[in-house]
Amino acid sequence: MRQISPLTLSWILVVALLFPILIVLGIYMRTVQAEQLPSLQSWFYPVMTLHGLGMVGLWFTAPLACVADALKRYVKPSSTIGWLAFGGTVVGIVLLLVCVLVGRFAAGWYFLYPLPLMGGWPQWSTVLFLVALTVLGVAWLLWSLDLLRAIAQRYSLTHALAWHYLAGRNEPEVPPLVLISTVSLIVCVAALIAAVVVIVLFFADMSGGIKTDSLLMKNLTFFFGHVIVNLSMYLGAAVTYEVLPEYTTRPWRTNRVVALSWNAVLVIVLLAYFHHLYMDFAQPTTVQYIGQIASYASSIPAAVVTIFGALLLVYRSSMRWGLASVLFFVGLAGWAIGGVGAVIDSTITVNAVLHNTLWVPAHFHSYFLMGLVLMTLAYFYHCCQGAAAHAERGVSRWWIMGLTLFGGYGFLLMFYLAGALSVPRRYAIYPAEVSYGAGYAGAAAAFAAMFLVGLLWLLGRMWKRWAETSAAPT
Amino acid sequence: MVARSDVEALGGDIGCAHVSRSLSAASRLLAAALLSGAALACAASTSSSTFREEARLIDHRLPDIELSLGDGRIAHLSSLWREQPLLLTLFYRRCTGTCVPSLLVIRDEIARTRQAPEFRALGLSFADSDTAEDMRAQAQALALEHDPRWLFAVASPPDVKRLADALGFWFRRDLTSEQYDHPTLIVGIVQGRIVRALLGYPISNEDLRELIWELRGRFVPYYQLPGQLRLRCFEYDGRTGRVRPDWGLLLLLAPGTIAMVIAGTVFTVGARARSGGAARRVAEPLLRLRPGVHKPSA
Repeated sequence: MRQISPLTLSWILVVALLFPILIVLGIYMRTVQAEQLPSLQSWFYPVMTLHGLGMVGLWFTAPLACVADALKRYVKPSSTIGWLAFGGTVVGIVLLLVCVLVGRFAAGWYFLYPLPLMGGWPQWSTVLFLVALTVLGVAWLLWSLDLLRAIAQRYSLTHALAWHYLAGRNEPEVPPLVLISTVSLIVCVAALIAAVVVIVLFFADMSGGIKTDSLLMKNLTFFFGHVIVNLSMYLGAAVTYEVLPEYTTRPWRTNRVVALSWNAVLVIVLLAYFHHLYMDFAQPTTVQYIGQIASYASSIPAAVVTIFGALLLVYRSSMRWGLASVLFFVGLAGWAIGGVGAVIDSTITVNAVLHNTLWVPAHFHSYFLMGLVLMTLAYFYHCCQGAAAHAERGVSRWWIMGLTLFGGYGFLLMFYLAGALSVPRRYAIYPAEVSYGAGYAGAAAAFAAMFLVGLLWLLGRMWKRWAETSAAPT
Repeated sequence: MVARSDVEALGGDIGCAHVSRSLSAASRLLAAALLSGAALACAASTSSSTFREEARLIDHRLPDIELSLGDGRIAHLSSLWREQPLLLTLFYRRCTGTCVPSLLVIRDEIARTRQAPEFRALGLSFADSDTAEDMRAQAQALALEHDPRWLFAVASPPDVKRLADALGFWFRRDLTSEQYDHPTLIVGIVQGRIVRALLGYPISNEDLRELIWELRGRFVPYYQLPGQLRLRCFEYDGRTGRVRPDWGLLLLLAPGTIAMVIAGTVFTVGARARSGGAARRVAEPLLRLRPGVHKPSA
């Protein structure tokens, strides 16, 4: 029986508290788009900002907390830095809540320059927003550097990146968790540095009136945003590599293909973000082609190798199908489905049609909600389950899965269908030309509510398992 | 001058010639700097307002007016833009100011496009005293009477006024000199819609070249913005229409590069710690935590 560390438990509590609230905000948005709640329509854009920032931040830190916990099997991260990152994240969240709920800051989670400086909200809320980002950025940068330091104290860089596998040597054995974590943490540092540059340029404009090229700012912002979202997925995959074998009783080892694929990710993920700028005609055409090629290339190494590996791991194994293992497995499926949606949208000719339609939230909700979220919850449940005194029993877990999958995929389907019908994203109220978007929004809100019920049930069950741990004699 | 006299007065008050001279020199420098700054600010401001005026014309539709061409034909403006994209400039025959120099700049820039004519240029007189015969003489004076790309025309005063109003073009007659006060305006028209406008004199060759490129069907995605920015990813060269990397690109490369350097540093420090024996102390108990994990690298 393995005890849950207090830090991991704290992260589980934060997720259990914030995630349902952020889902309720999402349901609110879809309800407004369904032309309901007229008295609350003016809150749409502040809520959209909070929902987007909250979800991205939460689902970056939660899988990073999982990785930090799982890495303790091999290396020794500093618990002080871990708590510092936790504290910094909580402070950052509080600042964001104040700037959005009190200051009505509503520039969206992209906060594209110069919108934060030109909105109808007070300037203090923009300053507070940038301060919040600074606090979060510093906390996460310290955390990432500490995890890298911990890995470096046991592995050389070439070993941590598994380059010796590329040379045909299997010794020393490097777990996929260490390889993927190293890759993810390096790109995480790059993303956070890009965020620092963006924040400095924002402050330079606000305090010194030094204007910055909007295209440069957009490049930097999407470098940060795209990389942070992608590496969150990779962190989810890292813990899946580590924990899923415990349910299949087969090892999932690093080999040459796995090493090659994740090293390719290290380079490609830094270039794929260009696909966010297809509509920016001032961006040179060559860069747009690089964006498309990198988008295609980034999906093959990470997703295909991982998913194919997972299928081989599960195929004809004596798999223990519990709530955690099912969540890991369907999480990988969600990553694949969302990944296909993303690759479709990253094709330049298709993007010309789907750009800024609901197809975009469709694909990123697919790999986040039904991919990363499920993998992270699986790890948390695995921790509680592993710490529980009794084996998992009862049929309620299948009800939980049913509600989560049916609600989640129903919710996504509404996004995909509306996106394919050119319903634009980020509209509080749909114009007459796409008024049919309201129907899809209403159905999506109902499906999301179903997902929320499944989630609350899952969290309740997780709580119960943890309570059993506390009650059990050690 | 105001700054100099003020500072000299200050020097006199404190009764120190040396200080006065120093301050006087400093004041000249200060005044020069202030004037330069003011001139730059003024230029930037003028450039910004011109840019706004030009931008305001984009996408405007023009009225269809009847023209008397220099070759004796009568044509509608719409018949010209329906056939081919049209470069339109307004002038008058007896102008002793910017009209002829402007026409020369346009003529020379069009002459540089050696390909078959893909658009036409129209010089339209806004002076009610000008006649079709004057237009023919103007074409001859510019050696353009046989150039199929060029047309010169007059129109009735009400039609000229309609067109000028649509373009925001103004002209004022000076009774003493018999000259018109007016700006210089060149517009590119595609199917009756303004796609680009150039306002003011002297005409920028680069801007005019872009206007011509656009009339020839080439998409020009860049526009020189007033008030230069310090950092850009790419800089657009108006002479060649090409894009070259700019200093801002370094900011895009910096995050990835710095991250790699940091990773290298962290692992180098880690290697020193391992070689110092710290790794052994940490790793051995950890290895016992997970069966099957091989001994870590040295």
